[in-house]
Amino acid sequence: MLESILRDLECSARERIAAAKAPQYLEAVRIEVLGRKGTLAQISKELGKLPPEERARIGKLLNSVKQNLETALDSKKGQFDHEALRERLESEWVDLTLPAPGTRPGALHPITRIQTEIEDLFISLGFAVLDGPEVETEYNNFDALNIPPHHPARDMQDTFWLTDGHLLRTHTSPVQVRGMERLGPPLRMIAPGRVFRNEEVDASHEHTFYQLEGMMIDRDVSVAHLIFFMKTLLSAIFHRDVEVRLRPGYFPFVEPGFELDIKCLICGGGGCPVCKQSGWVELLPCGLVHPNVLRMSGIDPEEWNGFAFGLGLTRLAMMRYGIDDIRLLQSGDLRCLTQF
Amino acid sequence: MKFSYNWIRELVDGLDIDPKHLEQLITIKTAECEGIEPFEGSQPGCAPDSIIEIDNKSITHRPDLWGHAGMAREVAAITRRPFLDPVRVDLVPAGPSPARISIEDFELCPRYSALVFENISVQPSPAWLQCRLEAIGLNPINNIVDVTNYVMAEIAQPMHAFDADKLHGDTIFVRRARAGECLTALNEERYELSTGNLVIADAKGAIALGGVIGGLESAISDATKRIVLESANFQAVGIRRTSAELKLRTDASMRFEKSQDPANTVRGLARAIELLNEVCPGIRLVGGLADQAREIVPPPAVLLPLDWLVRKLGLAISEEEVRDILERLQFGVETSSPGVLSVTVPGWRSTRDISIKDDLVEEIGRMVGYDTITPSAPMVTATVPPANEERLFHHRVREMAAAQGYTEVYNYSFISEDMARAFHLEPHAHLEIANPINSDQRLMRCSLLPGIWKNIEENSRNYDSFRLFEIGLEIHKREDAVRLPDEIPHLAAAVYGRGDGVDGLFELKRLAECLMPGAVVARCEPRPYEHPHRSVALRWHGSAVGRLFELHPTMVAGRAAILDVNLQLVYKLQPGTAMYKPIRRFPSSAFDLSVIIGLRDEVGRVGELLAQFAGPNLEALEFVRQYSGPPLAAGQKSVSYRMTLAAADRTLSASEVSAVRNGIIEAMRAKGYDLRI
Repeated sequence: MLESILRDLECSARERIAAAKAPQYLEAVRIEVLGRKGTLAQISKELGKLPPEERARIGKLLNSVKQNLETALDSKKGQFDHEALRERLESEWVDLTLPAPGTRPGALHPITRIQTEIEDLFISLGFAVLDGPEVETEYNNFDALNIPPHHPARDMQDTFWLTDGHLLRTHTSPVQVRGMERLGPPLRMIAPGRVFRNEEVDASHEHTFYQLEGMMIDRDVSVAHLIFFMKTLLSAIFHRDVEVRLRPGYFPFVEPGFELDIKCLICGGGGCPVCKQSGWVELLPCGLVHPNVLRMSGIDPEEWNGFAFGLGLTRLAMMRYGIDDIRLLQSGDLRCLTQF
Repeated sequence: MKFSYNWIRELVDGLDIDPKHLEQLITIKTAECEGIEPFEGSQPGCAPDSIIEIDNKSITHRPDLWGHAGMAREVAAITRRPFLDPVRVDLVPAGPSPARISIEDFELCPRYSALVFENISVQPSPAWLQCRLEAIGLNPINNIVDVTNYVMAEIAQPMHAFDADKLHGDTIFVRRARAGECLTALNEERYELSTGNLVIADAKGAIALGGVIGGLESAISDATKRIVLESANFQAVGIRRTSAELKLRTDASMRFEKSQDPANTVRGLARAIELLNEVCPGIRLVGGLADQAREIVPPPAVLLPLDWLVRKLGLAISEEEVRDILERLQFGVETSSPGVLSVTVPGWRSTRDISIKDDLVEEIGRMVGYDTITPSAPMVTATVPPANEERLFHHRVREMAAAQGYTEVYNYSFISEDMARAFHLEPHAHLEIANPINSDQRLMRCSLLPGIWKNIEENSRNYDSFRLFEIGLEIHKREDAVRLPDEIPHLAAAVYGRGDGVDGLFELKRLAECLMPGAVVARCEPRPYEHPHRSVALRWHGSAVGRLFELHPTMVAGRAAILDVNLQLVYKLQPGTAMYKPIRRFPSSAFDLSVIIGLRDEVGRVGELLAQFAGPNLEALEFVRQYSGPPLAAGQKSVSYRMTLAAADRTLSASEVSAVRNGIIEAMRAKGYDLRI
């Protein structure tokens, strides 16, 4: 008797589950059949009235009906969930070819880029990065660098003078003087910064440009060390092995003084318009620090010596980025500056 | 300086290298060549030549290289060939001269030598001489003047010929000019002189500006029959000072300012005798040499320790080789003690160029060839360099601004008076350049704003909207002009657009807050170039650090919001290392409050008061929205904040939270605010 009721119940419940059109129909079946006051709960109350062997058999049957219906409900619910998820996903189509909102990053100035790159390089080699003022004393810019008043070398650097007698530094070399006076030997320092020359501006000349001054002072610094150091440095800057050569150059704050050329990176030394067919490109002035310069900054040249060099950051930035008009760098023209 | 290849070849025995090769040798060993030009010449019979252009800057320290003989001597040393000295000093006659010389200032004129010639016929020079001069860029004038120029171009000794019949008296005075004394020079300019200038004078007055230019009155003319030929030595500093003062640079002054060798005066005359005999038929010397000089002490020998030299170069080099190089360059070399050479410097190298052992390092290095030195790593202590924190901070600010959409610009340090005035900066409050390139670049900027304004104006022609920034130095004049000016790094950023301009202001406010977390804006007196209702001062940790404003609409088409921040101050105000605070373990409670204020009342003020009244358990105060419109009365808005309360040691009870809330409401009402509850 109970057995057929159970079997009918399972059968009809399965039919209702299969026919359910929405999750709430399943919930109704669950409450009606499997709920605490549902049909199966009612039937299980009847079990006690049965003889023991019948009770065990019907009890087993009841459990299996319950399990079967739970499985059927879960599976149907799974179908509903799956369908709902599918519909949601379907409705959430997005066109990622549309442009992203928000502001695009701006660009750092080409000189900033090259300058920070070279600063990092020097810091990794144990150099301090020093600053100096753009308005300098005549003493620091010239006298302390072995260029006394009326020295013809002053012509090499057309100077902007201020009405108060100071000047706009014509090179970053005065920071050498400040570095030597502040830190003393041994010393490894660079000084990047803005410098000024009283020159007419055209595509290759500027009255305002950027240099990086470098200096190393130690017990025993030779020309061989200078060449090694410059070669290492320039290879790192250009990301390839560069060949360098020294030739005499005159700068009163070094002795001997050199112009350092690198083998033309465009033609490899064979000769091309960039190197004016010579195979070499003039890159930086350098030399061993003049004993007068050391002495004027309170360093004994018999005990210490060193080398110094000046790197033209503006020129380097123009080479790196292929900028052919120096005026663009200080034009503030975003058509150029946003390219980097 | 132009050098004739033919001329150099004439002075180096057996020189058999072509101009291209010679140019390369000179560049590597001596001075920078800027190129070679072929020379054909306008005269018939000119020998084709190659002109090597040497960069003047690279021979600033070499008085001898301002003449062909000096360069030839150098080339002879490099190529190990004999140098053929063109000067025959034995041509200078002995005996008294009809001219007398009186040097009054031996400081400015260490030596003055002269010869008198008669029976002159002034005429054009022969073709070979004209060609030589033309080849190196000098204009042939007549045989007498051309000879003086030739000697100058050959041995770097400037000379001058006076028409002897136009001189008064037989004495040549070398003296300082009298105050107000005037001279009309060969260039037909009249110069008013001062006592700093050295003149050559006769009994009547100045006849030349010593070492710079001759006078017009005593110049050689076609009628000249007798000449006084001057060959003198002048002090470099005096020449430079005079030439700078009078803005007059000549071929002579350019050479004298390099410190010429006093021994060259007589050599110049000797060379001139030979040339004049050739180009001025019938010319006769009158008497002997007139020569006055102060005692010229040869400089002491330079001691060169060989082991020191080897250490300086980083190259093992033998004593023989060092001797050989120095002797080729005509230094005198003796052994002073074992391993130490005593080096005597020839006169043409000792006036400026070589006086200490370091100078000799260059001589050895360049002659042996720097390419023979093997690069080697310096032995130095590994140390951590002192960090430049402020510079690193600037780099971080740059990165941050760029990441937020701003493109970096660099502006000049110079501004015009008009630009200064546009920002209500007094031109006289700026540092001024005494020699500006042009008048609109005369003032040193004491604000980045004029430059940024120009950037905005120019870029607005190409873009409807953009963002840019600059980090640069403001340069401020000090009361005490002896000290260097104050240079203060600033960040100036701008957002340009064509809308209502509000977004730009808030974008910049966000940039300011990223740079200075917790910075507040404060109402301030607007400046004339600022939009009067869109301008605030920025404060951080109690200091005024900058301004945020919209540029006044009369100054720009469209909208330009600008942020200007003193980075020096911001750097100093940065908080130290943030220390970890334990994460809160107890839940928080939040509620919203809406306060009614006038449409132009500041929302920030409401937030400040709410925070003040919330007490110590306020964990967060968050602006939710502002609203105006019905049911609010016209002219009013409602401002909503969400307030989150929490305690570190327990969960706040509902009654504690509502007590705080009620307390805030009461306090706000006491301040006269209406709340929507």
